[in-house]
Amino acid sequence: MHNLVPALQPGDTVPNGPLPDGSTLFERRGRPIILAFAPTDWDPAQAYQSAIFARLSQEFGSGEALAEAAPEAWHSLDYYGELATHLGVAGQRALLLLDEAGVLRWKTVVEPDQEIRPGQVLAALQALRPEPVVAPNLATTGHEVLTGGMSRRTFVMATLAAAALLALPSVVAAAPETTSPSPTPTDNRSAMLPVELNINGKSHHLQLDPRTALLDALRENLHLTGTKKGCDHGQCGACTVHLDGHSALSCLTLAVMAQGKAITTIEGLAKGDTLHPVQAAFIKHDAFQCGYCTPGQIMSATALLADQHTRHGSAVEIREAMSGNLCRCAAYPNIIAAIQEAQRG
Amino acid sequence: MHPFQYQRSESGSQAVAIVAKDSDAAFIAGGTSQVDLLKEGVHQHSLLVDVAGLPLRQINDFEGGVRIGANATNTEAAYYPAIQARYPAVSEALLAGASVQIRNMATMAGNPLQRTRCPYFRDLDQPCNKRTPGSGCAAIGGYNHVHALFGASAACVATHPSDLAVALSALDARVQTTGPRGNRTIAFPDLHRLPGTTPHLDTILEHGELITSIDLPAFAGRSHYLKVRERASYAYALASCAVALEMDGAKIKRARIALGGVAHKPWRATPAETLLAGQQPTEKLFQAAAAAAFADAKPLEHNAYKIPMGRNLLVRALLETSGLQPLQGPAGTAFAASVGGMAGQVATPN
Repeated sequence: MHNLVPALQPGDTVPNGPLPDGSTLFERRGRPIILAFAPTDWDPAQAYQSAIFARLSQEFGSGEALAEAAPEAWHSLDYYGELATHLGVAGQRALLLLDEAGVLRWKTVVEPDQEIRPGQVLAALQALRPEPVVAPNLATTGHEVLTGGMSRRTFVMATLAAAALLALPSVVAAAPETTSPSPTPTDNRSAMLPVELNINGKSHHLQLDPRTALLDALRENLHLTGTKKGCDHGQCGACTVHLDGHSALSCLTLAVMAQGKAITTIEGLAKGDTLHPVQAAFIKHDAFQCGYCTPGQIMSATALLADQHTRHGSAVEIREAMSGNLCRCAAYPNIIAAIQEAQRG
Repeated sequence: MHPFQYQRSESGSQAVAIVAKDSDAAFIAGGTSQVDLLKEGVHQHSLLVDVAGLPLRQINDFEGGVRIGANATNTEAAYYPAIQARYPAVSEALLAGASVQIRNMATMAGNPLQRTRCPYFRDLDQPCNKRTPGSGCAAIGGYNHVHALFGASAACVATHPSDLAVALSALDARVQTTGPRGNRTIAFPDLHRLPGTTPHLDTILEHGELITSIDLPAFAGRSHYLKVRERASYAYALASCAVALEMDGAKIKRARIALGGVAHKPWRATPAETLLAGQQPTEKLFQAAAAAAFADAKPLEHNAYKIPMGRNLLVRALLETSGLQPLQGPAGTAFAASVGGMAGQVATPN
């Protein structure tokens, strides 16, 4: 996709351009603005939009201004739209952040086969605020915002759409309010907590809603996306990690309760470019097809081989010990073969 | 998910005090069941008090038996040598339950407190007296193939899902608790209650009452857990049973039998226990005992299959416990506890 307009860089003053609600970018100066461009194939119902607006207004503390960002506006923010063309991002999923003076402060453009992640929205907000931003935790709070059958991806995109064009008038002013944990939750939000997680030997400090599952903290806050979300209810094992060396389900572990434990994820297995023997054996035995369950399978397999009760198990005992990891491609015989190879060392 | 506050407790008494004064508060330890129910919206707590850090994780020999700290994981208890050797029913129930990951997380106090797997309990669009008292029961008149044969009421026909609880009931384990009104000991068969008109209450525990240990009393007999499920591993029991036999020479001195998957609590088969006492073990005797155990079963529309299934399962469990038939796998493992599937594929050591 060729853009006629040269790509803007951070620090550039963004030229004026028409906004879908009839206003212009210049008219919006005085307030930070997030612009998000996404394909038009998501179209949450009006009720969802309202819920998203309500949620965002809570998170960012300016209900009226958010409500003003008329629902009809975001429809035009598709990535072939006029504004996208004007800003040189036509045909791309893009996220741009303009400060009060209309200067581009932050920008990300995502390849066509990728999605904008909630973490990138946070990074954008972070760039605007003098104080650290409290993660609004878009993905994990999605369930309550959206009562229909929206997928997480849809929700992420819908949230971006809602965030787009939203003037956030008191973003800076509201920072102290949203960064300090409030002692009591309001009607529909939990108090944020400081959480320290030790992951793959490194310490990470986060501010999290206590509802945040370790899985979501890994993926959405820390971008350790090797750990997969399958069922999100402890039935499939795709989210398996190690806690203090034992396999555990990160989807059923509250992040706040994983503090003080040594957390190992799939990213922590290899030593530099040298794969863990189980990883190498999975490749050698073609122990996957789509690969989605594979990180969880490997985390369970490595724990199995480190455990005195299971490390010498027969094929049947391996099957039993691996029964918490489902593989929809049914690569089971190859998974067993890979584990047996690693077992032999 | 409903918002909640989170607080790590410093001591058992502090945890009890905090939960006791907030009717919407709850304890959390392993979280495997609690977090799932929070995500489903079935549980909506204002405050979670984390008791996982309390020093309640030890397993010790105790008064000729074993004291299992409330926070010991299911894995730790299952492989504790004295439990695996002397109370194999407990290890078998644990290792045939859940998955490795969940056993590594779930605690020994939490396991018996897990909520029913009745699908209507978890479906917020359906009435459920256990979830929302007074809303009705969708299972009665609904699809009730996994529901109760015994002790059900017009308000609830749910079953209790824990394998461990069935073994603990047969072994007459004792539950030590600390609560707003002090400490007490509960005989395990009394811990869970029948639904009656208040099916939202699973146990007799008071709000804010915390389990501190589960004690296995001294026991010199044989025990065994046997489970039948819809797939070879990682599934709840359709029906299960735990058997504890104490012998006097060639005769049964005392038999204790708990049935799983058939009632709102582990169902002690008292008529069968009575019938077995003082008798020489034979297959015929065991068939009579199984018939007695299920004589009062009251099937619903879709669960009558559990009656012959449960009878056959009990006969087999009695044969295997008494030694008239070999176990399907090494004692104290999942392979001994399973029917079908992977059972019989792991050699029993001589």
